[in-house]
Amino acid sequence: MLDPLLERFRNHDRNALSRLVSLVARGERSDQILEKLGRPARPARVVALTGSGGVGKSTLTGKLIEQVRERGLTVGVLACDPQSPLTGGALLGDRFRMPSRPDDDGVFIRSLATAGGRGAVAEHLDALIRLLEAYGFEVILIETVGAGQGDTAVRGLVDVLVLLLQPETGDDLQWEKAGLLEVADAIVIHKADLPGAERVEAQVLATQALSMAPPVPVLRVSARTGAGLAELWSAIAALPLRRGNNAGAGDLVGLAQALLAERFAAARRGGDADLALLLDRWQRGELDARTAAAELLQRLARHS
Amino acid sequence: MTDIPAPIRVVLAKVGLDGHDRGIKIVARALRDAGMQVIYAGLWQTPEAVVRTVADEDAGWLGLSILSGAHMTLVPRVLQLLRDAGIEHVGILVGGIIPETDIPTLLEMGVARVFGPGTSLPEIVAFLQERDRGAAAAGRGGHA
Repeated sequence: MLDPLLERFRNHDRNALSRLVSLVARGERSDQILEKLGRPARPARVVALTGSGGVGKSTLTGKLIEQVRERGLTVGVLACDPQSPLTGGALLGDRFRMPSRPDDDGVFIRSLATAGGRGAVAEHLDALIRLLEAYGFEVILIETVGAGQGDTAVRGLVDVLVLLLQPETGDDLQWEKAGLLEVADAIVIHKADLPGAERVEAQVLATQALSMAPPVPVLRVSARTGAGLAELWSAIAALPLRRGNNAGAGDLVGLAQALLAERFAAARRGGDADLALLLDRWQRGELDARTAAAELLQRLARHS
Repeated sequence: MTDIPAPIRVVLAKVGLDGHDRGIKIVARALRDAGMQVIYAGLWQTPEAVVRTVADEDAGWLGLSILSGAHMTLVPRVLQLLRDAGIEHVGILVGGIIPETDIPTLLEMGVARVFGPGTSLPEIVAFLQERDRGAAAAGRGGHA
């Protein structure tokens, strides 16, 4: 069942790509799929856009698709939107703002429902990136769900993390709290055609001047007028490909945590009896939380 | 992990020059609240763009809302393009202002169901859920 699908994928069958994305996004046999795909012929440039809701991530992603295509590069887009924590349902409306020519095979856009919790990252995002890379996309654009505050999990998975800010959103202290400024590889002052953009830019530059970290590019961009779009892509393209080489140890721990959470969810769905027993003993107070957690870690480490 | 039910993925789109999107947005909301993943493609879509969306999103269902009277032109066009793209498994729903006399023809073309004015939201939800369960029981994956 899987092998014919992979064969079609290797022959550049778009429907096969689409179906594999669904499987991997649900965590179904993704280890098996990735193993069989092997290493990509060449690494893609993986770029994530983050920022609070309404800052223009979808619209800017749509404009970046145009920039990338004008330069003759192919692009795969993963657009994340939130999922209802109650029903699991999701209204995925990002691609609505990313008009692309339906006959252009150089663009693939997939909407992903993102469960709540830590990280504005769809589950299995790392595996999805590898899948699109294996298909041969030269650029991969990821639109995060737009957490805005304290959400930097996506950084470890991508080459370039672009933070979007806009005029009239809080003061500079807000960004300090969020901790986003220090993890961004480029900062976009979006909606730069609106009044107040220069002031936001000045605040960002002032904040950077106080920081120990090396400064990152700060660009004023307006998706509406088109100002700054070409400059933004040039800045993104000039940054080094970070993935795989100098990712920080913290990123790795974050990924390990995500992997454990996935294994835990899978074991629970799969009706793992030992796991149920462990949880039961903890709930009845036979085990204290720390001991139970240590046992859980041991159990999950044996899964693969 | 094949026992996990795949979420129902539905693309909702308006094709052609018809700017009435109140109904489709309400349907989108109802399907989301019923636990489905709704990809909202929005207004003024061409049949080509809709089919590309269905393909890239690996949707099991496509809901077309047409209030312009152009359904007998647009629906066959979408169906033909889906076949051309090798997409056979997608269930098609049509909503909007569709004269009674056109409904049998649309169903014959391969439309799964036509929902006209006065349709209740639970009716649409129930239809999708039942058809999805039927498809799963027949071992045909997540959708009809």
